[in-house]
Amino acid sequence: MLLRRFGITGTIFALFFIAQEAVIGQLNIPAGGFSIFLILTLLWAALSTPEIAAGVGFGAGILLDLSPSTSGPLGHWTLILVLMSYAIAFFSYGDENMRGNPLSVVLMVTLAQAIVLVSYLVTGFLLGITATSFSQTLITVIGNALWTLVVTPLMLPAVVWLHDLAFDSRMRI
Amino acid sequence: MRNGGENRGRLLLVILIVSSLFLITLDLRGVNLIDGLRGGTHTALSPFQRAGNVVLTPVKNFVNDVTHLGRTRNQIEDLRKQNLKLREQLISRKNQDGEVEQLKSILDLAGTARFKIVSAKVIAQGSSLVFTRTITIDAGSGTGIKKNMTVISGNGLVGVVKEVFANSAIVMLATDPAFKVGVRIAGSQQIGILAGLGSSTANLQLLDNQTTIKVGDILLARGSNNAQPFVPGVPVGQVTSVSNAAGAVTQSATVKYFANFGALGVVSVVVKAPKADPRDALAPVKPVPTPVPTVTVFVTPSPSTSPSAASN
Repeated sequence: MLLRRFGITGTIFALFFIAQEAVIGQLNIPAGGFSIFLILTLLWAALSTPEIAAGVGFGAGILLDLSPSTSGPLGHWTLILVLMSYAIAFFSYGDENMRGNPLSVVLMVTLAQAIVLVSYLVTGFLLGITATSFSQTLITVIGNALWTLVVTPLMLPAVVWLHDLAFDSRMRI
Repeated sequence: MRNGGENRGRLLLVILIVSSLFLITLDLRGVNLIDGLRGGTHTALSPFQRAGNVVLTPVKNFVNDVTHLGRTRNQIEDLRKQNLKLREQLISRKNQDGEVEQLKSILDLAGTARFKIVSAKVIAQGSSLVFTRTITIDAGSGTGIKKNMTVISGNGLVGVVKEVFANSAIVMLATDPAFKVGVRIAGSQQIGILAGLGSSTANLQLLDNQTTIKVGDILLARGSNNAQPFVPGVPVGQVTSVSNAAGAVTQSATVKYFANFGALGVVSVVVKAPKADPRDALAPVKPVPTPVPTVTVFVTPSPSTSPSAASN
């Protein structure tokens, strides 16, 4: 059972990762664009228990750290996604007002995405990675949040379906 | 029971955080296994990126065409109707022509400087979400490309090779905020440091406070020891504005790069630099205004023949 869950979840994340790197990353989307992989990770965390969310955040972080376009050290994305995935699941798990309302989920993922980017930048600065200018950072963070706000509702039904498929549950959002 | 579950969750969280910090420490200490993992991921992703590039190129070209419709909308609209059936073929041809044009200009530049180059297609762009500016090219160590080699386009400096794999390489663009290059001003030979800003412009800081710069000055790469990471003489950009801040130790300026980073299709890696520094030979020639011929007409007044003059 556990193996099946890991297998399905791993395959889904690997496919989204490839789609992000091979397709979405190639489009010159203005204002920093968006990451369907990050959105998937945060949505998955919002639908899971804190323990599963932390595990998923760890796996997704490792994949992002291994991405050729990542400049930070291995473990950088992992650390941020473990913490953020756990935090999302911790706040939403058991709260039907939060988890049962698609608007709440979308807003939570959008906010989490912005926090993830800012955290990545701040921890990157502490690890000695040169940051871009403040204006560019602001454009990227705000632009990404707006894109996430648009893309998340489109991805939500598919992610809920995939999550149900992996965990044999019936989520009602 | 519930406390037990919460404790397990917290323990798992702590273990995952410690694992992440362990990985960061290993990476910062330069453990080879991690480089190998990244290389493996890159090698595994390359075919997907190539396929994505092949599929997306017509779409990107189409979007690019559409965004330029504003100026001559009516004319383009007519042409679009006439050429609807041939659009796909035309886009493909335009793409090839553009690549040939870029390649030709690179060869012109490299030929003048006697650089030995390896040309490559850009197959992927790094995500700006990670606040870096990189591209991936379809040539790697198999063609003689090594880390820290200069990358040029037909217009000038593009960046420097950051990572090399068997069949591909990652290039840090000159627009990356971490990018720095020593430059000199063509003609006056003043030297300075140019730093990327994350956009198509860069910041120039002169090293000598006795020298001055002016708008329009052309910057060339100063060159590094053994021509790595930078070969000398490559055109970099042009000064667009000069900052004369009171109290500043040296002058600084904003520079616009010659290379068009939004339309990089083909680039070249300089695998061997010439023994002789090309000096200013690669600097783009400033346009000289065409003199307009002037005609001067001299008019000599003729003697007056009025009746009053005659009576006098």
